[in-house]
Amino acid sequence: MIDRLYLVARIADTRVALRSDAINSVVTVGQPVAVPAAPPHVAGIFALRSRVLTLIDPHVVVGLPAVPVAPGQRVIVVDVGGHGYALLADAIEDVCFIAAPETRVAGKLLPGWARVADAMIEHDGASLLVVDPAHFIAAPAARAA
Amino acid sequence: MDDLLNDFLTETSEILAEAAGAIVAWEADPADRERLDAIFRLVHTIKGSSGFLALPRVTALSHAAEDALDQVRRGNRPADAMLVTAVLAIVDRLSELCDVLGRDGAEPAGDDGAIIAALDGRQAEADPAVEVAGIPLRREDDLLADGQGWRSIRVPLPLLDSVMTGVTDIVLARNEFARMLRESGADPALIASFDRLSDSIAGMRHSVSQMRMQRIDKLFAPLPRIVRDLAQETGKKIRFTTSGGEVELDREMMENIRDPLIHIVRNAVDHGVEAPADRAAVGKDMTATIVVAARQSGNQIEIEVRDDGRGLSPDALVAKAVAARILTANEARALTPAERLGLIFRPGFSTAAQVTAISGRGVGMDIVKANVEKIGGVVELRNEEGRGLSILLRVPMTLTIISGLMVRAAGQYFAIPRGAVREILLENSDTVRIDRVGGGELATVRGQRYPLLRLEEVLGCPRDAEEDDDDRALVIVRPGQGQSYALSVAAIHDQEELVIKPAAPIIMATGLYAGTTLPDNGQPVLLLDVQGLLAAAAIDAAEAERGEAAAAEEAAAAAAARDAAQLLLFRDTDGRTRGVRLSVIERVEEVPALALFESAGTVRVQIGDDIFPVHADALPEGHGTVKLLRLFDGRTVLCYPVAAVVDIVRLPDAVQPAAAPGLVAGVVLIGGEPVELIDPFWLMERHASVLTPSVEEVRRPLCRIADDADGWGGNFLAPILRGAGYRVVSDGDAGDGEAPDVLLCLAADDGPCVHGGGGVPVIRLRASVATAGPADETIYRYDRQALLDALRRHVGGGRP
Repeated sequence: MIDRLYLVARIADTRVALRSDAINSVVTVGQPVAVPAAPPHVAGIFALRSRVLTLIDPHVVVGLPAVPVAPGQRVIVVDVGGHGYALLADAIEDVCFIAAPETRVAGKLLPGWARVADAMIEHDGASLLVVDPAHFIAAPAARAA
Repeated sequence: MDDLLNDFLTETSEILAEAAGAIVAWEADPADRERLDAIFRLVHTIKGSSGFLALPRVTALSHAAEDALDQVRRGNRPADAMLVTAVLAIVDRLSELCDVLGRDGAEPAGDDGAIIAALDGRQAEADPAVEVAGIPLRREDDLLADGQGWRSIRVPLPLLDSVMTGVTDIVLARNEFARMLRESGADPALIASFDRLSDSIAGMRHSVSQMRMQRIDKLFAPLPRIVRDLAQETGKKIRFTTSGGEVELDREMMENIRDPLIHIVRNAVDHGVEAPADRAAVGKDMTATIVVAARQSGNQIEIEVRDDGRGLSPDALVAKAVAARILTANEARALTPAERLGLIFRPGFSTAAQVTAISGRGVGMDIVKANVEKIGGVVELRNEEGRGLSILLRVPMTLTIISGLMVRAAGQYFAIPRGAVREILLENSDTVRIDRVGGGELATVRGQRYPLLRLEEVLGCPRDAEEDDDDRALVIVRPGQGQSYALSVAAIHDQEELVIKPAAPIIMATGLYAGTTLPDNGQPVLLLDVQGLLAAAAIDAAEAERGEAAAAEEAAAAAAARDAAQLLLFRDTDGRTRGVRLSVIERVEEVPALALFESAGTVRVQIGDDIFPVHADALPEGHGTVKLLRLFDGRTVLCYPVAAVVDIVRLPDAVQPAAAPGLVAGVVLIGGEPVELIDPFWLMERHASVLTPSVEEVRRPLCRIADDADGWGGNFLAPILRGAGYRVVSDGDAGDGEAPDVLLCLAADDGPCVHGGGGVPVIRLRASVATAGPADETIYRYDRQALLDALRRHVGGGRP
């Protein structure tokens, strides 16, 4: 079994694990600029050096009310389809190798989480959802309609 | 090994595209030895690299083609349509093999015997009638580019992007640093040295953005082949030319217009131009002409595909649309002529009486339009029924800096492309009247009615309570297509040069934004999509226009007049705002100041491999970049340095002429401000002595230097004569038998001139200053003026 590197973070009030190969970096959010008329999970855009990143609020994606962006809040930068996005994180806990295998999601999840979760993984005596950041970016189909 | 194969594949696919175009051009002029050599080299390169990679089929095919071309080079066989078709077949097979190689990583098994045999002419003879059907040509300068294209290195795109990002980061850091430096009240010497650094960073940013640019030649390269093949299939005779190949475009943009362009060109061949017999019947040249021309105009690149075929028939379009149930007969009657033409952009519409094998590729003009609009471009039609159709693609230049107007609404900034802004007015100004009509708002400006859009409402945001109503302004926006409208914003901020980048798809999907930009303060700003705003406000431009058909026609006439005489406004190096007719501008160049140099009292600039004179008395100071307007009179280019390009406006009818000829031809009023109009005639005249014809040489008089015993004539005299515009031959030259226009005799003062006679005028030069007597007609050999005067008297020509 190959150890895989995961980022363990708290997003949308839930501890999750993100595969490190999907992640560009973790940075502090700059002052975001609102994007009027954009889908609700788009919290704005902000500049990371010369890149303009689209800020995603995972709370909205999983069906929770949006939270205001706090100055200095940490975000997880991911690249999807050649564009840069940043997922708002409540807290970044750890980057670690997890030896345990990913397992199929057991049990019933809320519809919002079911859409973003790929698998589950055992870490430090707790079960974490393994989520794919790309799932957070596409607008929730049901909500958009 | 994989890297090697990848390099081979990218290189080969480029070579094949180049080769196909070059081969077709060569077919038109088989005597063109240089072109043949170029094709030979291309094929030879493929053979060489494939042998190294052990690709037996590729090697065999390229070897066979190389062999056949070599036979032609040696004069052992003629270049005929059959040979060209066979070589093109090999090019096609090589492309197929490369595709498979790219997919599977290995050369597939197969037999190329038939294709190779076709080269030797063992196959059936080609139909001779078809042979003359396609005579595509490329411009000479396009060919020159082929040779130089290979003096380059291959760099992975991500590396290039990271360099670009790096430079942009440096620019932002510089701006931050500059602000801190100003606030700290630093030593002027420190600031000056920082400014130098700043200048070189600006220069670097410019070069880096150039790195992503490609000459539009690349896009044109496959076209001659497509036209040739299609012309053969359809039995049409077509002369195909391209121009403006040196215009540069961002390579991503290039990918996006490749398919639309090819589709339009195919359409032009398939539907646009008539069969030779039909052309003859209506008194046209049997050979049709299709021209693809690119040019840079302000912040846009225009690509025009023009044919001299039958054009579009609005009535036929309507009949077809009704038959295809795209619209009802009633709706059809209400359409303006412009709307009738616009029918070809409706989904499910095809102009051919039947869908042919050629056009039936599932791409329609609606897709073309959608693709071009996706990248912020516009498709325009200029139709002359019976005489031809011209389709114009206008695409914005990305990654180059565009001029944007910064406006405020709902407490944040937005950018509007300056090119789409017609006018800016304060909302409470006397010239503006705002009426609420049936829930909508209308702004009337000097008798002209515009639908009024409030930016906050379109974006669905509340108004910011802190904003002052007195600051509210109307921006009269003219989108690329559709109706002009008034956009009400909370305040106008300023105008800035902006680098536009695409926004994330979820943001673009709103249809309100055309991209994002990062101004110098580091806060991202959204660029508004002026066409999308109109759509979002649910004002169908076409609907609104339908009610005012007459007004729309009037607007079309006005637009036509605008096209006829547009004025480019710029800020001159002395700070004044001046204008020059857009039609004399070939393009706007931005070059590093170091590209300018002074020689023989004239400032010149090196652009690529050309040197052009510059209208300037002294070299510019500093190390930044210089913007140059390239004035083109059809033969020669003169560069005019400007501080900034301001706008393109319609040239008013009333021009107040200047009293005396000079740089300024007259004064016009633009938006209430006097603007000096530059006189290109005067400029060209003034620089006429250093302008070299760039298109074709005029015939220049031939001087023969006779009795040049000590070489003085060749060493001292000939350079002056050439400089004055004469051609020179001396005794030593065999010459091509052309009779000289004048004879310059350098024989010793008392010796006879043995070359005289034959009706050729003779000018004798003497070595001594003193004349031999009053009847002495000889000229002292260092009296330059007298010599040139005498030459002009005898043969004319030369330059003053």
